[in-house]
Amino acid sequence: MTRNTWKKIKDLRVIVSLIFLVLFTALFLDAWHLVPPKLAAVLTSLQIVPSVLKAVIVGGTATLFVLAFIVLMTLFLGRVYCSTICPLGVLQDFLIRLARKMNRRKRFRYNRAPQWLQYSVLAIAVILVLFGTSMIIGDLLEPFSNYGRIVNALALPVIVLTNNAAADILARFGIYFLYNIPLHLEGIGALALGLLFFVTLGYMSLTEGRLFCNTFCPAGAILSLLSRISVYRLVIAKDVCNDCGACDKVCKAECIDSEAKRIDFSACVGCFNCVRSCPEEAIQYERRRIPDVQIAGVGFDQGRREFFRNVTVPTAAFLLAPGLVQGGSVLSGKAKPVTPPGSLSFRHFTSLCTACHLCATSCPTGVLQPSFLDFGLAGMFQPKMDYTVNYCNYDCAICGDVCPTGAIVPLDVETKKLVQIGKTTFKKDDCVVVSKKKECAACSEHCPTKAVHMVPYENGLRLPEIDDKLCIGCGACEHACPVTPNKPIFVTANEIHLKAEKPKVEKEKEPVPATPGDFPF
Amino acid sequence: MDRRTFVKQTLGASIAFGAFMKTGSLLSELGNLQLPYDLVAIKGGEPDSMFDSGIAALGGMKAFVKKGDKVVVKPNIGWDVSPERAGNTNPKLVARIIQHCFDAGAKDVSVVDHPCDQWQRCYSNSGIQKAASDVGAKVIPGASASYYHNVSVPKGISLKSTQEHEVILDADVFINVPVLKNHSGPRLTMGMKNLMGNVWDRQYWHRTDLDQCIADFSTYRKPTLNVLDAYYVMKRNGPRGISTGDLVMMKSQLISTDIVALDVAGAKLFGIDPNEVRYIKVAEEMKVGRADLENLNIKRISM
Repeated sequence: MTRNTWKKIKDLRVIVSLIFLVLFTALFLDAWHLVPPKLAAVLTSLQIVPSVLKAVIVGGTATLFVLAFIVLMTLFLGRVYCSTICPLGVLQDFLIRLARKMNRRKRFRYNRAPQWLQYSVLAIAVILVLFGTSMIIGDLLEPFSNYGRIVNALALPVIVLTNNAAADILARFGIYFLYNIPLHLEGIGALALGLLFFVTLGYMSLTEGRLFCNTFCPAGAILSLLSRISVYRLVIAKDVCNDCGACDKVCKAECIDSEAKRIDFSACVGCFNCVRSCPEEAIQYERRRIPDVQIAGVGFDQGRREFFRNVTVPTAAFLLAPGLVQGGSVLSGKAKPVTPPGSLSFRHFTSLCTACHLCATSCPTGVLQPSFLDFGLAGMFQPKMDYTVNYCNYDCAICGDVCPTGAIVPLDVETKKLVQIGKTTFKKDDCVVVSKKKECAACSEHCPTKAVHMVPYENGLRLPEIDDKLCIGCGACEHACPVTPNKPIFVTANEIHLKAEKPKVEKEKEPVPATPGDFPF
Repeated sequence: MDRRTFVKQTLGASIAFGAFMKTGSLLSELGNLQLPYDLVAIKGGEPDSMFDSGIAALGGMKAFVKKGDKVVVKPNIGWDVSPERAGNTNPKLVARIIQHCFDAGAKDVSVVDHPCDQWQRCYSNSGIQKAASDVGAKVIPGASASYYHNVSVPKGISLKSTQEHEVILDADVFINVPVLKNHSGPRLTMGMKNLMGNVWDRQYWHRTDLDQCIADFSTYRKPTLNVLDAYYVMKRNGPRGISTGDLVMMKSQLISTDIVALDVAGAKLFGIDPNEVRYIKVAEEMKVGRADLENLNIKRISM
């Protein structure tokens, strides 16, 4: 390959990254539910942290295959993932480019990121997941989930409001092609923090480039460790280099020491800006030579040493985690929220959910809403079943299909219909039938299994009664109940999901065939 | 009052006023209209062929739809269940009614409901969206408060005002197409109960006095025509149903301009005493329609 061809590698990177950015953004902006869940699952399987979680917990050859692809890609070419597949990385590139266009020419300079920090973050994250919370990786630092929350917080409301304004105008002309989409601001706390994260990230990227990717990003940490032993790496050909330092100034990862003519490849995010900038075409991929591998080995050891040097931090986290989980529940002061079908248990869900909010965007009814502190500090932002917004549609299991981490495992619809995520409580004194002596039955009307059914009360009225064994906790009764503000019928969470009984199916007797012309009136 | 509220209210009021004027004229027109029968009962055919025979007995759809009319067909599309479950109106019947409207010269025909389950899944899985759009009807969303405008119910006792879908407010002809089902609340759902799908806030009805509100709302606007689908009838576990085991095949249909007569006949078809259905009694007392089937001119068709 000629050197000139190498220069085009940056154009290729830009094209690929834009394709992925558009695709992932579309997932989180799909207020119309146009993206098939299976396609969403294929796309999100490319996201390394969610996929690692899913591979460990749920398994599945497809996930393993995609992971193997990412690992091999990194083992050959380094962290090109960070500049192509990672939407948060590409978002930062976009912001940096935007700043440049606006004439704020930022020149980067070599600045070795404290990678020990990153490896410690990864170690803490692993320990916390084992301890039943995904707090560090998901709630705070996982790039894909943060991107999801940023899009959810900043772009989705704009899209929905624009859609609704257009729908309103078209409706005036009798055109209902667009329809009104409810905008839920229940997760406003999550939205505010999404915004805060976005501002912080924006500031970091405009001043120090991809600093986040080399300090706090757990995906970056995994890939950085892999890239330390990659087969090929970017190097500066010392004999060709003319010491102009152009590469140094365009390096967003700030990993090129142009004076020493050295690239710290474990911090390189594979953007190829340096390749493009070099007037002498001195920067290109080169196969690691044997002595280099040994050097790399030393480098890895150094990393490991730093890793252990900071073992005190993980230990602290280890001791802190249960406190955070417990403390959170105490803080919110409420009963534990109901988790979606497929999330198996409170612990399974909270330890694996990285709060990307893709399930909330994909949920056709909107019953899945981002929470703020309902799951405690350690489960910040994780979605919950919010029966004030809607109820879980009986014949739907989309959340499990789209969940990238396996926090909600995919269920076929027939299985889902028997998963009891909570149980219903009925306090009859507040029910319309008792307090007003009027017929209502909104609860049993909506109940898909007839766990809530009507039994004779007084004066020909009928009162709801609940069969726990049939109840799946979908919240249809609670949502439909017209009593305000405290509903007499409500769902409380099963901390471990149970199996409900199949609704009783009996065949209604066919009427005696009537003779023709025989009408009962 | 901010500008948005002002625009909304003025617009709502003018739509409501227009609809009122239209309904008024429509009512007087219908009052003069001499129909050969008060009620047509058909049995033994398919949902579409039964309607063909029934509407022919009433003089064809031209008796109800004038050239250039805007028609709204309001089936029950309340639940995310397939047509075999008969939780919603039979899609074949809905399609055939739409075809008759177009044949009579309707300018456009819209189909709308305010479903209970997630609306797109209801529209699509009921088979009604496809059946209706295949024959040229517009399928209109109804699951957002923005489509509903305040209307007053002057004769209402518990329900003095409510919010109705703008497409219905704007229609020249309103055809109510319920499905006959068991209902865990007011016992049966038929003609009057189906009109709950025209409005936005149903919880008010439930927490105030459901039967009274159902009767109240039936005083608000007399549907041009009511067609009760009793092809498959859900005998228990209504209104959503659990399985096809809840159904019996009755292969029947009722057509009437009198919603009370329709519901009385529907209850008898179902096999329960109409007096057990409180909203029918209340509506009859409020003179919404007639319950004395024995004095009505009924056409009975067996196919």
